Amino acid sequence: MKLLTVAEMALRELSRRRGVLVLLLALPLVCYLVRHDQVGQSIRFLLLGLAWAVSTTALFASGTSRHIEPRLRLSGYRSHHLYLGRLVAMWLLGLAVSTPFFALIAVDHAGEVRLGALAAAMVLAVTVAAPFGLLIGAVVPRELEGALILLVTISLQMMIDPADSLTRLTPFWSSREIGTYAIDYTGPEYLVRGLTHGIVVTLLATALVAVLSTIRLRTRPHLRYAPR
Amino acid sequence: MTDERWLHALGQELARHRLTPDLTHHVVAEAAAHLRDSGQPALRAFGTPQGYAAAVVESLASQHRPPRRPPGRVRLRASQITKRYGRRTVLGPTDLTVRAGEVAAIVGANGCGKSTFLRICAGLLSPDSGEVVVDGVLGYCPQNGGTYDFLLPEEHFVLVGAGRGLDRARSRRLGRSGAATLQWEPARDTQARHLSGGTRQKLNLVMAALGDPDVLLLDEPYQGFDRGAYLDFWQHVWRWRDEGRAIVVVTHLLNQLDQVDQVLDLTPGTREAAA
Repeated sequence: MKLLTVAEMALRELSRRRGVLVLLLALPLVCYLVRHDQVGQSIRFLLLGLAWAVSTTALFASGTSRHIEPRLRLSGYRSHHLYLGRLVAMWLLGLAVSTPFFALIAVDHAGEVRLGALAAAMVLAVTVAAPFGLLIGAVVPRELEGALILLVTISLQMMIDPADSLTRLTPFWSSREIGTYAIDYTGPEYLVRGLTHGIVVTLLATALVAVLSTIRLRTRPHLRYAPR
Repeated sequence: MTDERWLHALGQELARHRLTPDLTHHVVAEAAAHLRDSGQPALRAFGTPQGYAAAVVESLASQHRPPRRPPGRVRLRASQITKRYGRRTVLGPTDLTVRAGEVAAIVGANGCGKSTFLRICAGLLSPDSGEVVVDGVLGYCPQNGGTYDFLLPEEHFVLVGAGRGLDRARSRRLGRSGAATLQWEPARDTQARHLSGGTRQKLNLVMAALGDPDVLLLDEPYQGFDRGAYLDFWQHVWRWRDEGRAIVVVTHLLNQLDQVDQVLDLTPGTREAAA
């Protein structure tokens, strides 16, 4: 219940930031349109734009809550209510943003791509991006530095040679792999690799967010509560 | 100002000073009778309602202080708290014990560690040495921040209430009634970012007190309050004290210190809790 309340309030707060919502939609759209003449590139860029938008939103949501979470801890919340609640909110928001883009591609490139795999790539992009943005927010408390780290990550992801083995170390490699499976009709090994990578990165990022949040919001050892 | 408005304002001021309804009615009726008999306008006869109320309260203070319950069990005990930032010592060894039904004020010059001490008491900041023992549930009102810009006041009540284990309806009800005692009626569609500084602090205060915590730590919660709201705030504090809560207020305004149970002056060289 507490977790869902945190998620609900995070969503309510974001839903009132109309400018953010517009930009959240505009970023993947621009990525998609800029390479619209090439089906594969436009969809891969859209997936990356989606991940970028969701992770940036998660980063800023993390920053907004940073000063309020200590008082919420004192109000009876546990650390996991706070970071998981926010994570759930970011996932729901990401899925809501993804839906119109899925519909757009389904109309724009009907019959050219595997739509089921494309949906999986979008879900995975959102799944990875939310905890990754929260992780950056947990590691770097200042939003500008966090935004720049995200920019470096996305730029690296865009510019790195796909054949380079280093590409597997980038956080959003999974959606690229599944995107390739969806667009180029490659073998199922792309799907498996992508799913595995996405799940591992999600679990790793979530675990690190959990550790960092728990440390930051821990009850300090000098404070003891008398037994009641 | 008409005499009727003046008398109404006098009644409100007297209520803020915690005069009983009977006594308030009596004082207002006497003032009205005097105005009727003398034919003078109220402002000329008595001055401002605030000034006249203060004078009345002062003259009645010794006879009409409400009976106090004896302080109860120790709710907060901070022992030998010290804190340094780099080479700068912010807090020397500091002790504070607050019992149920007591109000402690933390005073001192800017930068003497008042907020730091309160954050240490709340467990939000680690001291370099010392310990804090709390008996009961803590409520904390920060000096600023502590709210979400884009959430409505009622959503803040629901958020804090859920943490305290309250359902939504009860959280909203408690929040609204807490706001009403601070002369504030939260609009249903005004986000926190659109509230004035004082109203935002009222929201902060209501959030801190939601769910009846046993220990209230208030860090200059009245910033931005107008005079009336400031007096209402102290009425709140006295009521919480009478309910048996332990309250610690960081303040730099000294005009209420004669009514608190102890004063912890953190100005260097005066680290004593004076009862």
